[in-house]
Amino acid sequence: MFALTDGKGAVTNNGPNADARDKHLLIAIDHSEDSKRAVLYVAEFLGGFPGFSITLLSIIQVPEEDFFESGEERAAWLKNKSEETDLLLSNYRQILIQSGFPEDKVLIKSCLGDADSLSGMILSFKCDLNCCTVVVGRQHKSKSEEFLFGSISNQLIHEAKNCAVWVIE
Amino acid sequence: MGHHTSVKKYTEEDLFRMVRLWLPEENVPKRLRVKDTSDFFRVDYDDIVMLGGTPYLVRNNERERRFGVEDEPKFWVKRAVNLVTGRVKILKWTFREKFRGRVGNLVFDCVRSPLKEARILNIVQGRPDFMHGETVQDSAGHLLRIIDYIQGKTLPEIVRAMTPNHEDFFRDHYPGLLSEFISTVEAIRFLHDKGEKHGDIRRDHLIRDSETGRYRWIDFDYNYRHRASKFGYDLFGLGNVLIFITGGGDITVQALSMEAPEKLAGLSGEDVNIIFHNRVANLKKIYPYIPEFLNRILMHFAAGAKVYYESTGELLEDLKKARDMLPG
Repeated sequence: MFALTDGKGAVTNNGPNADARDKHLLIAIDHSEDSKRAVLYVAEFLGGFPGFSITLLSIIQVPEEDFFESGEERAAWLKNKSEETDLLLSNYRQILIQSGFPEDKVLIKSCLGDADSLSGMILSFKCDLNCCTVVVGRQHKSKSEEFLFGSISNQLIHEAKNCAVWVIE
Repeated sequence: MGHHTSVKKYTEEDLFRMVRLWLPEENVPKRLRVKDTSDFFRVDYDDIVMLGGTPYLVRNNERERRFGVEDEPKFWVKRAVNLVTGRVKILKWTFREKFRGRVGNLVFDCVRSPLKEARILNIVQGRPDFMHGETVQDSAGHLLRIIDYIQGKTLPEIVRAMTPNHEDFFRDHYPGLLSEFISTVEAIRFLHDKGEKHGDIRRDHLIRDSETGRYRWIDFDYNYRHRASKFGYDLFGLGNVLIFITGGGDITVQALSMEAPEKLAGLSGEDVNIIFHNRVANLKKIYPYIPEFLNRILMHFAAGAKVYYESTGELLEDLKKARDMLPG
């Protein structure tokens, strides 16, 4: 259930205009402060250094059909979320550019997820885009919350193969 | 999923004749009113509703029964008699509600969805471990589920009726009870494998069918908005049921403080249920003869848990091992 865009309406399947020798990082974000922290960390840590390219990824977790009274309600929800997400991605892209990343090395992607496995989707993008590192913000959940609803960062740490996972505190 | 179509016209005389087949004379209403099905509030006791061409005589509204207390009637759920077969059915009208579910301190989005229940009724047809039913449309075009009434007692009713001495209960009844519980977890795994959640796993949503002797899951119209773990809340529900049956009832901090303060003194904050902190999960500290391996399963649902079950498959694997270690 992928719908990839570059945030300007164009559908794309390619990574950024990266030099083949670039280290390519995938930052998975949502609307949380935790994600913002992850973006700011990468901006501060790597901004201005050559040899890095970034893809900002946001997966919109679409509720199951049971949560909508009609197809119209679902469509309106999706439209609203897509707009919010595109705006967020665009803002975070600007932060990275202002920190010193060249414009052509910061790409944004959004897609819809049925949320059976968000971590699985993130790792699938990681493979498709040939990223060496996945970056996420650590959600500060209580133990009981993590027990009931799981933790993306924990799942990534356990499931990721052939890449590094940065979990930003 | 059928559509509301009147195949046969029934006269009032036909309907009276059918009612008399299934009801004692003193309960036969003086008048029979065939009601439109679009609004469940307008359908009352002794009314007739036509669903999929079949007449049903409506009886009482169902009530939410929990912890021995009868809650408000559920006006959208009515008991009825299928006047063709005489079978008792539960009619569930569409009653959508979105609400914020609360478990302990956690709040999350929930919905009561007739669509979800209709979907699952379809999936579990023929399985002896779920309630059965069909879905038709009411006269407004909304989904209406016609559920087979299950004669039997709920799991808590059965557990509480077992011997009050826990050691006797654990030796004589628990091995069989655990085997039955394992079957109910297999049923939930079947749902999860189909990508569906039960959504409201509670001890009183298990009824032991007196015809088959098997436990059956009921009421799967709830859905919760999951996050990283789709089935985490279902697994939590299974853990609660497991702790309940292993304790032969709830072992609460309050009860221990009254009845066994020395045992309460031996508990730490890590020994209670991860969400419901008044319930003890580390039952071995209360009943030392509970095998270590079984207790370790319970501890996955304790406040001190270091690891959690990620799937029903993982839980089942451990439960079967624990069952094999029990005598009998």
